[in-house]
Amino acid sequence: MKTIFLVDDSATILLSISGILSKAGYGVEKAPSALDALKKFQAGVKVDLLITDLNMPGMNGIEFIREVRKLPNYRFMPILFLTTESQQSKKLEAKAAGATGWIVKPASADELLNTIKLVMR
Amino acid sequence: MDEITSVFVTESREQLAALESALLQLEHNPGDDDTLNAIFRSAHTIKGGAGVIECTYIVSFTHVVENVLDTLRNREITLDADLIALLLACGDHMGQLLGVLEAGASAPDEELSAEGEALLQRLQAGKGASTQAPNTNPTAGTPAAFDALIESSGGGAVETDCWHISLRFGPDVLRNGLDPLNFLRYLGEIGHIERLETVADAMPAAAEMDAERCYLGFEISFSSTADKAAIERVFDFVRDECTLHILPPHSRLNDYFTLINALPEDLMRLGEILVRVGALTQHELDEGLSAQLAPLAGAAATDAAAPTQAPQIGEILVEHKVVQPELVAAAVARQKQVSENKAAEARLIRIPADKLDRLIDLVGELVIAGASVNLLASKSGSEALTEATSLTGRLVESIRDAALQLRMVQIGDTFNRFHRVVRDTSRDMGKEIELVISGGETELDKSMVEKLGDPLMHLVRNAMDHGLELPAVREASGKSARGRLELNAFHDSGSIVIEVVEDGAGLNRERILAKAIERGLVQAGQALTDAEIYNLIFEPGFSTAAQVTNISGRGVGMDVVRRNIQGLRGSIDVSSEPGKGSRFAIRLPLTLAIIDGFLVGVGEAAYVIPLDSVVECIELSAEGSERDYVNLRGEVLPLLRLRQLFGMEGELPSRQNVVVVHYAGSKSGIVVDQLLGEFQTVIKPLGSIFRHIKGIGGSTILGSGEVALILDVQALVQRCASKEAQHVPGAARALPTTSRS
Repeated sequence: MKTIFLVDDSATILLSISGILSKAGYGVEKAPSALDALKKFQAGVKVDLLITDLNMPGMNGIEFIREVRKLPNYRFMPILFLTTESQQSKKLEAKAAGATGWIVKPASADELLNTIKLVMR
Repeated sequence: MDEITSVFVTESREQLAALESALLQLEHNPGDDDTLNAIFRSAHTIKGGAGVIECTYIVSFTHVVENVLDTLRNREITLDADLIALLLACGDHMGQLLGVLEAGASAPDEELSAEGEALLQRLQAGKGASTQAPNTNPTAGTPAAFDALIESSGGGAVETDCWHISLRFGPDVLRNGLDPLNFLRYLGEIGHIERLETVADAMPAAAEMDAERCYLGFEISFSSTADKAAIERVFDFVRDECTLHILPPHSRLNDYFTLINALPEDLMRLGEILVRVGALTQHELDEGLSAQLAPLAGAAATDAAAPTQAPQIGEILVEHKVVQPELVAAAVARQKQVSENKAAEARLIRIPADKLDRLIDLVGELVIAGASVNLLASKSGSEALTEATSLTGRLVESIRDAALQLRMVQIGDTFNRFHRVVRDTSRDMGKEIELVISGGETELDKSMVEKLGDPLMHLVRNAMDHGLELPAVREASGKSARGRLELNAFHDSGSIVIEVVEDGAGLNRERILAKAIERGLVQAGQALTDAEIYNLIFEPGFSTAAQVTNISGRGVGMDVVRRNIQGLRGSIDVSSEPGKGSRFAIRLPLTLAIIDGFLVGVGEAAYVIPLDSVVECIELSAEGSERDYVNLRGEVLPLLRLRQLFGMEGELPSRQNVVVVHYAGSKSGIVVDQLLGEFQTVIKPLGSIFRHIKGIGGSTILGSGEVALILDVQALVQRCASKEAQHVPGAARALPTTSRS
């Protein structure tokens, strides 16, 4: 089973997305903040894809992506970020940090799963 | 309400509280970027959540607010007091919208919508915020250049009815976690890949190859019923870093040559590839080549390494290249920003409150069961068994403490709500008031915190309305124009004390006394201490406000405040000094459910005294058995005989004991027959018919299965004190019976 790591400070988003993912047969790991997630990464959590929010208190998503990419085991893991912003600059910034792609909130279950299919190895 | 909605409502209320306190912070510190970001993030999170649960009225309102916050964050507009007030009002409105959602209504009623509309207009009027509906179309933001690439630009149409996709991956694709093969797999889901050629011309010699770099490209002939947008979307994530061309079926020959020229590979080789994937026939290729080569005057045709000299292509490439420097610039700019705010975030788990209550109940039962095991063990006389039960006893005690700790929340959040109240109210009244909060980290039972909100609100409003004076009045009496209002919380001998302190005019002793006499609460000429007079304001129906204002209510307040506090097994007390201000102190037990008790026996019955209030135990000497007080190391200790108080029959035992208890600075002695020792007690409430019995706080079940009553020490100590004051006023004055601190 493929496992997806979900990082978002919003409990609403965590709950709704993890619901969709588990129904689609993915394993789900969750963390409410970048720092919590990094701890799990440093502990070597086995995940196949990371989905993270960009706008989070503490460490923001872009910095978080940059940190994850520094970890040897996760250099080539697909990373999607959640965004509501249609601005190109946010996307470019995140991509420059090492993100693979994005999901525009609010996404329907189909959009979400299709996007995951596109990047999941 | 389903689970997601209720999570959303809870979360959004927290975000609103954060938004409000951040806005208030901004008022003092307008340029603070972190705070601005935090505000934006709160609005953003609410909008995001609302989008997930498809609550359109919250999305559309929050969207405009978010836009204004965004322009603020980007320094396009500046923040002034009016805008803060407006944003605060917007926050309130969002709270009301959440209420609508919670109530299960499909949309806000007309009045509320109108209010929201008015707020939005004010927001937009002053600030020129974008009014566009939130853009949910994921393909928004497509670079214009991209569309230009698939427009036809002349020449005859080619024969194939397949799409042609030409793709050269950027070097960082692998490093960004993308697998190039995924695109092919995904294309296979929305159509059929007819033919495919892998272009690996960019691949260097093995020695120079960087295994993490992507050197590959594809030329794909693709048949599909999907539309242009759907095919484009597949490449959304790589569009900025790859060279991508999509030609629709039956594109013109010129388009293909534009494509060929735009690609880095050799012209002739590409031509061959296109023929191989079936995009072009050999005939079309030849025709196109001759048409292309003619106007280029030979140079570009032979030197295929510089195809960018072809005029139209050059433009397109420029369009494309703009993207790259931007990308780099963004990355560099971002790296400069050092992370500042890595504050430790609380790690939280949300648990429904009733699960917690169930746990506390079970722990309560465990404590009772443990007591009965203890009793049996000590009766059995088996040493090993006693030892084992005492170990379990200790563990149960730890479990009890840990379980109770789960219900504890900090009072800080409740206190912080008052920033807004104080700000708004002081403006309304034309007073300058500074709110100082201390001890916000003090923890108390969550159910208690909830019930404290109203009484605290009343006290704070009272302090602002009646306590603190207008700036002019304050200056006239030699004080600073700015009044000071304090909210304090701290622990004090097993209770939690919450204080509302102000440095206003103080209570008017004479007026309170006159009013109390007028209302028949006390007799004229009755000897009363200052403290007793001040505390008269808690009597039902008492109000000294010369003018009733809408701030502090209509004089029905203070007795209700006291009743609420007493409902929490707490007490409230006021002290005041003319011209210096007043201090309202609420005293609450640490927890509502389980206490450490001290078990005593009177006749056949057992009673429990909360251990927190027990100071010491002494034997009642023969000389003290006749009097109502004893000499405790030079101090007069008033006695309270339970046997008398509860009208119990039976022979006096040969020896009686005194349990010295204290409450809020007063000490009394409770006379009992036997001292039975410490005992963990689960408080079971008494039925409502016992509610009016003074001196009993609840009941509990002993290990033996018997019922024991829990004494209400506060009521007993007060009874002692009032007995002194009423019956022997002279004596009470002459002797410092209690050490008031």
